[in-house]
Amino acid sequence: MWNQVEQSLHQSMVRVINKIAILLPGILAFIVALLIFLVIAWALAMLARRILIAVKFDERMGKGTGTIAEWTPRYTPTLLITRVIFWGFIIIGLLVGVSAFEAGSSEAGISAYIFSYIPRIIGAAILLLAGTVLGRFLSRSVLIASVNLNLSYARILSMGVRWLIFVLTAAMVLDHLALGGEIVELAFGILFGGIVLALALAVGLGSRDLVSRSLEREAARPVEVPAPERLHHF
Amino acid sequence: MARVELPEETKRRIEAIGSVDVLIGVWGTVGRDGFYERAAQVIAELGETAQKIVFAFPGDTPPEQPPSAPDSTVVCLQYPSPSSGPAGELWIEAASAQRSILEIAALLNAGSCLVLNADLVALHVQSIQMLLYASVEKQCDLVTPIYPVGKYDGLINSGILSPLTRALYGRRVRYPLPFEFGVSARLSTRLALSARSGNQADRSLLWPATVAAIDAAPIGQVYLDVHHHVPTEGLELSVVLAQLVGSAFLEMEQYAAQWQRVRASQQTPTWGTPTPPPVSEEPIDAKPMIDSFLLGSKNLDEVWRLVLPPVTLLELKHLARQSPEQFRMPDTLWVKIVYDFALAHRLRTISRTHLLGALTPLYLGWVASYVREVSNMTHAAAEQRLEQLARAYEDNKPYLVSRWRWPDRFNP
Repeated sequence: MWNQVEQSLHQSMVRVINKIAILLPGILAFIVALLIFLVIAWALAMLARRILIAVKFDERMGKGTGTIAEWTPRYTPTLLITRVIFWGFIIIGLLVGVSAFEAGSSEAGISAYIFSYIPRIIGAAILLLAGTVLGRFLSRSVLIASVNLNLSYARILSMGVRWLIFVLTAAMVLDHLALGGEIVELAFGILFGGIVLALALAVGLGSRDLVSRSLEREAARPVEVPAPERLHHF
Repeated sequence: MARVELPEETKRRIEAIGSVDVLIGVWGTVGRDGFYERAAQVIAELGETAQKIVFAFPGDTPPEQPPSAPDSTVVCLQYPSPSSGPAGELWIEAASAQRSILEIAALLNAGSCLVLNADLVALHVQSIQMLLYASVEKQCDLVTPIYPVGKYDGLINSGILSPLTRALYGRRVRYPLPFEFGVSARLSTRLALSARSGNQADRSLLWPATVAAIDAAPIGQVYLDVHHHVPTEGLELSVVLAQLVGSAFLEMEQYAAQWQRVRASQQTPTWGTPTPPPVSEEPIDAKPMIDSFLLGSKNLDEVWRLVLPPVTLLELKHLARQSPEQFRMPDTLWVKIVYDFALAHRLRTISRTHLLGALTPLYLGWVASYVREVSNMTHAAAEQRLEQLARAYEDNKPYLVSRWRWPDRFNP
């Protein structure tokens, strides 16, 4: 009996080691491909940076009113472009690495599966980035505009806008990745519908008396002639 | 540099007129009949003159001679009116029209050019004579007015534009963004060319005092007994503040190499007799402005933190805790806030729209402090108080220069 146990253990060890030995060239090929593309990405990003600085790209881009800098002010257009080039080549390196892994390890179907999923990942990443940038920009815009309009609930309004956009973005990203199936759509529909219904009920039922009193007061108020302003800013 | 493009028809008329001695141009929307009436009055009061004078005003109808023009020495010329945009764009439209007038002056080779506001209150003989006196007799390249305003008037100018221009460019000009001004032939060509190139060309404001100071041109001021009423209906303070201060910050960026070399400021020669302010100035309630500041302090902390150094934020926190009766923003604090915002505008620390929007509650805090402080002061004492503020801008200029040159250096 012990002989059989020893034999089966030995066989399983051999199988695992064989498997690792088969995968090792693939892993090595993956790492080499990634390193080569890392060097290429770095060199091209540096070259692009030097060229863009030489042609004063930031100054040219900065002259418009709706420039990149307005949306992502911490990053200059040059920095953004060099980063896009760098990460673009890293992603290409990853794909080449996966192909090399497949070729080196004779594991069929890995790259076909990943390649077919890549457009979705890229689309989802763009959606996530755009949603995050838009959410932050609009929430800050709402916050500043509300404060300048003397609205005491400025922060709540701004947070509402931010989370509305973030939730919408998250739903879109999950839908784009085909994760969660119909649950995401359903959950999002219930959440949004619930918010709107809650607000409608709050205003319609909770504030009914307040609204009617306010309207009555407005109707009864005599027409006031505005007093001339005594303080002039301009 | 971009140049204003005039239509061929206007250019042909300018060629037909030839060179002139004085061009009096009006910017903004003006009725032709009203303009002719005032122009005729001025012509009559000026009497017989050997100088060739051209009156230019915006409009699209064909030009004709004013009915009472005495002879060929006085000519009227219409230039295309700038397209009118939203109410907040008033200053951009003004700058566009002012550039058109200066372009006409350059093409006419006018010895002097007077640019007047469309409300025509400055189109009377005393104002014109005063502006021409400083321009022609005293040979000033730029003549700016000093208006008889009250201590609660023109606060964006008093609190930011005028002292900032003075500290940066070293010339004490009371109204760096005037409704009317006079320029020599040399400066009119230079100003017509001063529009920023690129797609912001027609959106930049005209800062005659800055251009004159950079060129080391002689500047003069004259007291004008003129009261302008800026229609505030539909104008939002934050929008106007962003437009005016944003433009001043852009000028700072453009002339950074020049203003960093300027130390202290020079007195500007002034002519005429000051007119007392028009209305009785009773104290104003600063509570609504303090409330706006407190609301900003409560909500905009995350934005201010990106722009202002910790010590300034701490001082703002202390200020927010003061009672309305004790509320007072020190000059140094206000000046450093303006300088830090100018730096953040240059570095694009946050979106420029957000940055300038976030300045409004701070500005209202300064206004509240100023209003409380000058409420029991005479007009002259309030002027002295503004002079003290202007000196604070000058005294803190090394802080700006240091931060401008080394923005990444540790700043507690």
